[in-house]
Amino acid sequence: MSKRIIGMIVAICVATTVLWAIGLIVTIQDQFFYKASSVKQEQKPTTLSMEKSGSLSIVALGDSLTRGTGDETGKGYVGYVVDELKKKTSQHVQFTNLAIKGQRSAQLIGQLKQKEVQRQLKEADIILMTIGGNDLFRGGEALRDLSTTQIEKEKEKFAQQLRTIFQLVRTVNNEAPVFYIALYNPFNDLDNGKETSAVVRSWNYAASEVAADYQFIICVPTYDLFELQVNDYLYTDKFHPNKEGYKRIGERVASLITLTKGEK
Amino acid sequence: MINLVYNEMLKIVRKKRLFIIAAIVAVLVSLFTYAQFKQIETIRERIGTTDWRTQLQQQIIDTQNRLNSTGISEEWKKFLKIRLQQQQYYLDNDINPMAPGAPTFMRMFIENSIELFLPLLVMVIAADLVSSEASGGTIKLLLTRPVKRWKVLMSKYIAMILSTSFIVFSVALLSYAISGIVFGYGGWNLPLLTGFSVQGEELNTTAVHLIPQWKYLLIEFGLAFFVSLVVGTLTFMLSVLIRSTAAVMGIMLAALISGAILSSMVSSWESAKYLFMVNLRLTSYISGTAPPIDGMTLSFSMTVLAVWALGALIVSFYVFTKRDVY
Repeated sequence: MSKRIIGMIVAICVATTVLWAIGLIVTIQDQFFYKASSVKQEQKPTTLSMEKSGSLSIVALGDSLTRGTGDETGKGYVGYVVDELKKKTSQHVQFTNLAIKGQRSAQLIGQLKQKEVQRQLKEADIILMTIGGNDLFRGGEALRDLSTTQIEKEKEKFAQQLRTIFQLVRTVNNEAPVFYIALYNPFNDLDNGKETSAVVRSWNYAASEVAADYQFIICVPTYDLFELQVNDYLYTDKFHPNKEGYKRIGERVASLITLTKGEK
Repeated sequence: MINLVYNEMLKIVRKKRLFIIAAIVAVLVSLFTYAQFKQIETIRERIGTTDWRTQLQQQIIDTQNRLNSTGISEEWKKFLKIRLQQQQYYLDNDINPMAPGAPTFMRMFIENSIELFLPLLVMVIAADLVSSEASGGTIKLLLTRPVKRWKVLMSKYIAMILSTSFIVFSVALLSYAISGIVFGYGGWNLPLLTGFSVQGEELNTTAVHLIPQWKYLLIEFGLAFFVSLVVGTLTFMLSVLIRSTAAVMGIMLAALISGAILSSMVSSWESAKYLFMVNLRLTSYISGTAPPIDGMTLSFSMTVLAVWALGALIVSFYVFTKRDVY
């Protein structure tokens, strides 16, 4: 090996040692002697809006149902809706699932106020939503306490919050149809099935009344899908739908979606 | 002195270790580049968009869902919560932390290799600096020269420092050059956030500020060099103490790997934070991920590492100058 190569390597070594030492000095100066201040960044003219044509954007909001809990394939009803849509349209289908398990309507309101969520909603062509299941059942707690006054109060609160949710969605995007998937009763084969069914029906009625006040917000019933042989369509937790249950919801929602000519 | 150091560098270069190390780095970088490329592709397929905001939002939602599921350990939960807040912060400030490009890849690579991969490479060089001379018998030739013993050891130590920076440099250069083929070479000026500090389960953002990516990289490579130096010094000490190179490597390997395992399970063993091997992930303080044990900070970890290195240096010089060589 020639002397020159070795000399070169040694030179590189020395140079990089100096470089890394500078790096360390920068570290100390940047990390330890930084005065607290807020992040400032010049706002660039944001080119956020993606070209709308050429892609069909679906945004899903809500709770575990939209998430697909209980479906072993992980699709949930939204997955089946998207599958159906892909058959109907030649466009590229872009799908965003913003649902969070266990989410209640108050939390959804908080989510809808986020900037990025609003941006995605703005670009949505179709919005799918489930909410209210956790408000009503509270993880099975509601079954123990069926006192009507309490449930009525909760219902009023829920209707109020649902109104806020729709209002928020509509201010961001007043064109895309919103499919609000209503509640079903997972407990209707239990002893107090009659009572719980009555409660679910009255909640659904309240929700559909709220939905009726807004344009293109469609309240999709699911109550009837789970009325007979409810257990065939429920997951082992006896609360969330299973694959078959989701498929039925998905088919129903998909059948409601009509694509305009431009969207096909 | 300069001649002595040059002599030592000559020995290291002649052994061709530096080139083998560079080759290992090149192979690994290519592998990771491909893996990263594949990952980006699958994400794009799953979400159906290349818009980073949508992708980041989806990650946030996914994390929120994982937080809500039962059977998730407390430590993991805490980690996820902190990452969640950080991602939200990036999103709110309209900054893409993962904008593709070779510098981003470099950052990711160094963050993932600072704890184990880089120290291993340094160890390969440092392990036999002294011990091979002892086991080969050449130490006698070296020490019969009219040079003070501490000078001999000093020259070896400086050679170790130089080759360590060469290794860090080759990691930087190769990860930039190779990943750039796929991701492009731009992105040096991408703004990034640093200065997050973790307090319990909350992310403190008062000191958060923006720095361009090149500065971020300089900081991270500086820290990587610091970590490599500490590991190199410890290996150097073992190399002085033990005649067998294989034993030196074995001990260091055990320590480094135990560190990687320990940092994932020591959160309840508080005093473990004084061990050098759980402090190696210095870059995570820059990016703002939760440290393995509560109360660890960058200054703390750097102090611990420096103390260990200093101790090792004192021991090696003391032993080397006092020892009988036969």
